[in-house]
Amino acid sequence: MRVRRVPQAVAATAAVALLVTACGSSSSSKGASATSGAAATSAAAAASSSGGAAATSAGTASAGAASGAAPASGAGFVPKLSGKNFGGKKITIWTSLDQPVIDGLSAKLDPEAKAEGINVVWSKVDNINQAIIAKVQANAAPDIATLPQPGIINGLATKGKVTALDSILDIPGLSKSMTAGTLDVSKVNGKVYGLMISMNVKGLVWYPKAAFTAAGYAAPTDLAGLDALTAKIKADGHTPWCVGLESGTATGWPATDWLENLVLKQSGLTVYGNWINHTVKFDSPEITKAATEFQNLTFPSGNTLGGQKSMTSNNFGTAGNPMFDAKPGCYMYMQGSFITGFFPKAVQKALDTQVGVFGLPPATAGGANPVEGGGDTASIYKDSPAAEEVMRLLSATSVGLTAAGNGSSFISPHKDFPLSAYPLKTTQTVAQVAYAATGFGFDASDAMPAAVGSGSFWKEMTNWVSGSENLQSALKNIDSSWPAS
Amino acid sequence: MVGNVIGAVVTVVAGIGAALLLYWIFNKFAESLPGVWEDRVKPYLYVLPAFAAIAVFLIYPTVQTIIDSFKNDDSSKFVGWKNFSTLFQSSDFLQTLYNNLLWMIVVPAVSIILGLLIAILADRLSPRSEKTAKTIVFLPMAISAVGAATVWRFMFAANPPGEAQVGLQNAIVTGLGGSPVAWMQQTTLHFNSLLLMVILLWGQVGFSMVLLSAAIKGVPTETLEAARIDGANEVQIFRRVIIPQISGTIITVFVTVLISVMKIFDIVYVMTDGNFNTNVIGVDFVNQLFTNFQNGLASAIVVILLVAVIPIVIYQIRTFKAQEA
Repeated sequence: MRVRRVPQAVAATAAVALLVTACGSSSSSKGASATSGAAATSAAAAASSSGGAAATSAGTASAGAASGAAPASGAGFVPKLSGKNFGGKKITIWTSLDQPVIDGLSAKLDPEAKAEGINVVWSKVDNINQAIIAKVQANAAPDIATLPQPGIINGLATKGKVTALDSILDIPGLSKSMTAGTLDVSKVNGKVYGLMISMNVKGLVWYPKAAFTAAGYAAPTDLAGLDALTAKIKADGHTPWCVGLESGTATGWPATDWLENLVLKQSGLTVYGNWINHTVKFDSPEITKAATEFQNLTFPSGNTLGGQKSMTSNNFGTAGNPMFDAKPGCYMYMQGSFITGFFPKAVQKALDTQVGVFGLPPATAGGANPVEGGGDTASIYKDSPAAEEVMRLLSATSVGLTAAGNGSSFISPHKDFPLSAYPLKTTQTVAQVAYAATGFGFDASDAMPAAVGSGSFWKEMTNWVSGSENLQSALKNIDSSWPAS
Repeated sequence: MVGNVIGAVVTVVAGIGAALLLYWIFNKFAESLPGVWEDRVKPYLYVLPAFAAIAVFLIYPTVQTIIDSFKNDDSSKFVGWKNFSTLFQSSDFLQTLYNNLLWMIVVPAVSIILGLLIAILADRLSPRSEKTAKTIVFLPMAISAVGAATVWRFMFAANPPGEAQVGLQNAIVTGLGGSPVAWMQQTTLHFNSLLLMVILLWGQVGFSMVLLSAAIKGVPTETLEAARIDGANEVQIFRRVIIPQISGTIITVFVTVLISVMKIFDIVYVMTDGNFNTNVIGVDFVNQLFTNFQNGLASAIVVILLVAVIPIVIYQIRTFKAQEA
């Protein structure tokens, strides 16, 4: 009897052991991260105290840094540096930028910082939004971090966890240098908490260059012109648009981009901002008007390759590729600046000759023309003179020169950035679209509460486009899904 | 890294050691009791850790979920029945329930019918071909539902007309001169939901076939021979002789498949994420919790699912006991 019980006892023992291990390992890892955070803090404190003592050969170092900061062309914003030497102080920058962009920025920034005795360490962090919140709560934040979601910076700034940049950076100088509106994306109570260091542009219309120009089409100057161009391409027996909204469990987001861009163009930044905080309802005339414009452009039979139904089954990444068929499947594809990475390899190799691009036109030619985009915004989470100095270095127009030239996706948010620094003509055009903007609208769905921004907004747009729901009830459903609090 | 590994090893050794020590102490304690009490108490002591584990990991979360279903979106205050009334007033959620009901009606029934058919037909093959046929039917069981759904995406994929059709079904349709169909958007009569069910059936039929086949082989040949001598034809033998003798297995398979269908999640999540009116309770729950951060609604959905599953589980346990007796 005793012997037969042994296997059962072992099994039960193993089960209990597993439980104990699970609890044990999670608590031990927590302990480890807490201690490593504490270690980092004390190390930083030690470094900053030694940095104060070692600020002696300041003059020569800052002269070297200043000459390094000035771009070759002499144009652009040049920050006023402190002129100190920080004696080997280590500054950590967390970022989720693409590795080539990090490499480019680091190649330019690190030597400049080194000349002032600052040792910059770049650290690529996945899931940076969650990570930064956790680290800030644990008082183990990095000196500087760049976040793709300004909403998170603003939330932390409201709690006093981010350092305001107004007294650190030359804000009036920067506002002349930077793309309109980019300093406003992380503004809380009139103070600037974030400096955009890399941007991307949305609302771009891509077209197959050769076929498009051969047919005599040209970029429109207002939205009526876009309607006319669509009608003209259709009258010529071609298909004007490709649309792809499928994106796995995120299906529908490209439709929200369409709507956001059109709201921005038709109704301007104020309505756009009020839409984000739901004082302008989805059901309002402004949003309905934008949706109707999208509908007029793409829903009618013959306007979109594969028709309305195929829009929700085409993947956003590949939906534009029929443009590059021998006989183009469509002539226009609206998507952000990142989409070039999804084009067929052969097209990517000869991007400038194969692909043309223009920004969605303003409502009236020459009128207000805000542009939708995104970007990575740097903020100080652990203030120190050296961290402030690195922010000043990051604010220089020239900081992006290497990143722009090394084949990365980098676009500088400085409108005085020399276009010639972008090796590709396509990137120059995209940058120009942003630099000529009269305002900058950060992606609205990213800024809305998650239940809407990545929930009902995507789903209801998908339902509407696939034809299983009409526009009115789709917009009403989004409104009713807005969280109560 | 090395530190982590050493830490893990130490915790495992310490954990097993502690558990062994616990059982050893229990054992000693029981043995210290006088006479019959040792045998009376010992089983309970041995069961205690497992029972504690169930209480902590099953009963506690269940109770917590039920409480949360009466709270608001971040579980900070009670809102009464509001979550449930919101759900039952939403036409989307009623459609979701309807879809679940469709799944529950179609999938278990069809998997029994197909499983039975394949089992009977395979029974008449030579042993070698029977093994091969059954292996092929059973093979999809080895694929996870997420993997199966990803594979089936290529079956149903639709590209615009004029483009190369990656999807098998649309390759056939366009090959015959038709224009490509967006299969996942065919909402008429819930056709797209039926197509999703095909994926689950593809994976589940093997399971019911194996169990039913074993049951059919267990039917005593004497009863079949007696029926043949009495002049019954094959259909009559199947309906009057075989079915009554395997009805227990049929019910078991039916209920097992039914419970797994009620919890259906992965296939719908991967294929459509509940778009195009294919939503089911499992997907709705995940989206409410992890996309919309609506803890209250998500808990309420789980409670509804729980209430629906309980009677079936009770029925299953009863039939199982009846069969054992």
